[in-house]
Amino acid sequence: MAIKLNVNGKQVAAEAAPDTPLLWVLRDRLALTGTKYGCGGGYCGACTVHVDGAPARSCQLPVSAVAASPIATIEGLEERHPELLKVWVEKNVAQCGYCQSGQLMSAAALLDAKPEPTDADIDAAMAGNICRCGTYVRIRAAIHQAAAQRNGE
Amino acid sequence: MNQQAITATPPAAGALANLSRRHFLGASGALVLGACLPVASANPKAKASVPFQPNLFLSLGPDGTVRVTAHRSEMGQGVRTALAQIIADELEADWSRVAVDQAPGDAKYGDQNTDGSQSILRNYDRLREAGASARLMLRQAAAARWQVPVEEVRAVNHQVTHAASGNSADYGELAGDAAALPIPAQPALKAIGEHRYIGKAVVHVDAADIVRGKGVFGADVHLPNMATAVVVRCPWLGGGVKRILNEPKEAPGLVAIETLEPAPSAGPVFAPLGGVAVVAEDTFSAMRVARDLQIEWTDSPNRGFASDELRSALRSALEKPGAKVPGAEKGDVEAAFQGGGKQLSAIYETPFLAHAPLEAPVAVADVSVAEKRCAVRAPLQDPQAARGLIAQSLGYPLESVSVTPTLLGGAFGRKSKPDFALEAVELSRRLGRPVRVQWLREDDIRHDYFHAASAQFHRAVIDERGLPQAWLQRTAFPSITTVFAAQASAPAGWELEMGFSNLPYETPNRRMESAGIRAGVRIGWLRSVCNIFHAFSANVFADEMAAAAGRDAIEHRLAMLPKAGKLAVPGMQPPPGHELDVERFRHVIERVRALSEWARPRPEGTGLGFAVHHSFRSYVATVLEASVVDGRPRVSNAYMVLDCGTFVNADTCRAQMEGAVVFGLSLALHGDIAMRDGAVLQSNFHDYPMLRMAEAPATKVELVPAQDRLPAGVGEPGVPPVAPALVNALFAATGKRHRSLPIRV
Repeated sequence: MAIKLNVNGKQVAAEAAPDTPLLWVLRDRLALTGTKYGCGGGYCGACTVHVDGAPARSCQLPVSAVAASPIATIEGLEERHPELLKVWVEKNVAQCGYCQSGQLMSAAALLDAKPEPTDADIDAAMAGNICRCGTYVRIRAAIHQAAAQRNGE
Repeated sequence: MNQQAITATPPAAGALANLSRRHFLGASGALVLGACLPVASANPKAKASVPFQPNLFLSLGPDGTVRVTAHRSEMGQGVRTALAQIIADELEADWSRVAVDQAPGDAKYGDQNTDGSQSILRNYDRLREAGASARLMLRQAAAARWQVPVEEVRAVNHQVTHAASGNSADYGELAGDAAALPIPAQPALKAIGEHRYIGKAVVHVDAADIVRGKGVFGADVHLPNMATAVVVRCPWLGGGVKRILNEPKEAPGLVAIETLEPAPSAGPVFAPLGGVAVVAEDTFSAMRVARDLQIEWTDSPNRGFASDELRSALRSALEKPGAKVPGAEKGDVEAAFQGGGKQLSAIYETPFLAHAPLEAPVAVADVSVAEKRCAVRAPLQDPQAARGLIAQSLGYPLESVSVTPTLLGGAFGRKSKPDFALEAVELSRRLGRPVRVQWLREDDIRHDYFHAASAQFHRAVIDERGLPQAWLQRTAFPSITTVFAAQASAPAGWELEMGFSNLPYETPNRRMESAGIRAGVRIGWLRSVCNIFHAFSANVFADEMAAAAGRDAIEHRLAMLPKAGKLAVPGMQPPPGHELDVERFRHVIERVRALSEWARPRPEGTGLGFAVHHSFRSYVATVLEASVVDGRPRVSNAYMVLDCGTFVNADTCRAQMEGAVVFGLSLALHGDIAMRDGAVLQSNFHDYPMLRMAEAPATKVELVPAQDRLPAGVGEPGVPPVAPALVNALFAATGKRHRSLPIRV
């Protein structure tokens, strides 16, 4: 069946069974492949998107449950958080890069909720995102720097 | 830089990465490079519109864009950037005008096996020459055009200039002329200190794509009419499909259910495991059917395999003499053990580990049986070897098979083994349409080529300074060679040379022994390989010797070393000049002592732990600061000093050390794969956890400036010292000595 979704501010329609996880609708039906499959169990955060502005694991969300909600993916992040992407590149945060879409989506949601996050805030907000390459120290530094830039420091 | 070179649109079967490059390489197809540059014309029919491609690794178009061909696989180690830095540096190219294309697997590039931390050391000289010869040719072209001596013509940052006449030209304007010139045999290379990019911090060429979700990894390749397969594999190695108990007649999106035969034990190399492939129009449709499938499997000798039993067998093996490491014996350890003095002995144990790259294995294959062609896009560490195996499996000539790496979403050795690509090829061949094989996380963890479980026994007689007067070392583990040969069991010499038989510590009486055992699972190499357990046991035992004598661990370690000298380190085809240099080994120790402020008192309950290891021809010393908080180890600070000789990207080297701390702490604190009844008990990140943000320590990295030394490894050598440094730190903090991994407080 065709399901109507609001993704990155656009109305789109996708053919998918209602129980299909949002992740696979994004990737297989909408060609939004920036959102990654990492574990399928909500453990790793590679599939993190925003639903109603909050970070969510798209591998755990049946598409039928989010049809009424605005969805944001990595492909739309630059418009809302250009400084975050810029800092991420300047600090050369990514190694293999596979988890980074999810890391960025979690970081952006954190900055939306807490413009000046503490280390403890970062620990909590980023707890669901695994980076096997181990870029955590740079992610932390990048979040702090993006916050500082956003706050005009 | 505008990097779109790894694209989601694959080349046609048998074709090269893009039309223009097919044209370039076609025009210069005779210029096959081995380890040196061809002495021949780049393009005898050069015209202004023809790109200048003096060798396999770079081309320059009339618009001045330099296209570098990266022939090694990118898995986060920054190799695409580093290779381009080397060429751009000697070419004196403007970095903003350099783009990187990914090479398919092809013997003409030489070795492409992105493994063993060797990309820079194998390619540094020849890529410098590739850039330098092109730069010289641009100067020659300008000199000819301006009728001035070439010695008076300079080429700097994409511009060729002649001061006296005031002439200048952009590189692009000279491309056509340069293409007509003969290629110089031995172009002069820059001196140390003249480098524009080598040794500097350069942001990775794929970074801008990655933060926008545009980096193309294996699963991001999409072909028209492509189906997706999820394979259900037998829980034990070697089992085949007896019958499917509930094969669905139809299901939404279902295309086919295909039985794949298992490969015989230990061969052919990297053959797929077999199983039942559920092929569907989309990933979730395949996953849904695969999840519910009930399959009866045939037996195999591996069905009885239990990791607990293997680990008991490893401990038992340590109780008796093993095979002596040839040439390692000194003096008479037995006599020394009979002679009294203070004696120490300990057994160290490490478990099986899974690679668990965040991108599980995935591959896209497009086989045309009618045309006898096959094109594969996949995250592969060795596209050349995969190409050969695929051609062999299909019975097609090599030229009919193209294998082009995507970005690798982590690899750590897993993606050296192309079994998953062979699955996709077989399914595409059968179904007559492109097929993507997507391993689920559970498949990845249960059906890995596992890092070997191991055990080491150390026994020493120490003097009042804690220095070993006799030292017996035994190691036992299932060898990687067991996946290549059905009869193999003994550890190979190159496995022992990973941190066991090549330790630089002095003792008058020494014996080293090894024992092997076959496991009922596939064994593979994981980042740092046998160095992980050998560095662990040696560094912890050294710390135990220091503690037994009441000595400072770093003072004691320095005292265990000769003052200077070089040890030959055979194995892994090192070029000459890669002997273990004791002075460099000592130097990283001294530097980490300063970096960590080793002498500065830490708060009560916090301890410092030290470890040092030489692997992949590099030297890494580590200090960790740790305590136990709420019953769990907590690492607050990590200090890493790396001497990798000449380094290309300073920032990448730092990043690799930061990542090595996390990788090392993951295996020290969490990693534990166990098998029972032949089946792996873990399945996903809830029961095979990784380090997360809150556990990652603040990390300080220091690079030893050594641009006058040969380049060495960076991706792997940071991992081995991390786990032992943690054990030693926890001992300093709590007085409790942990001798097996993962650490259970």
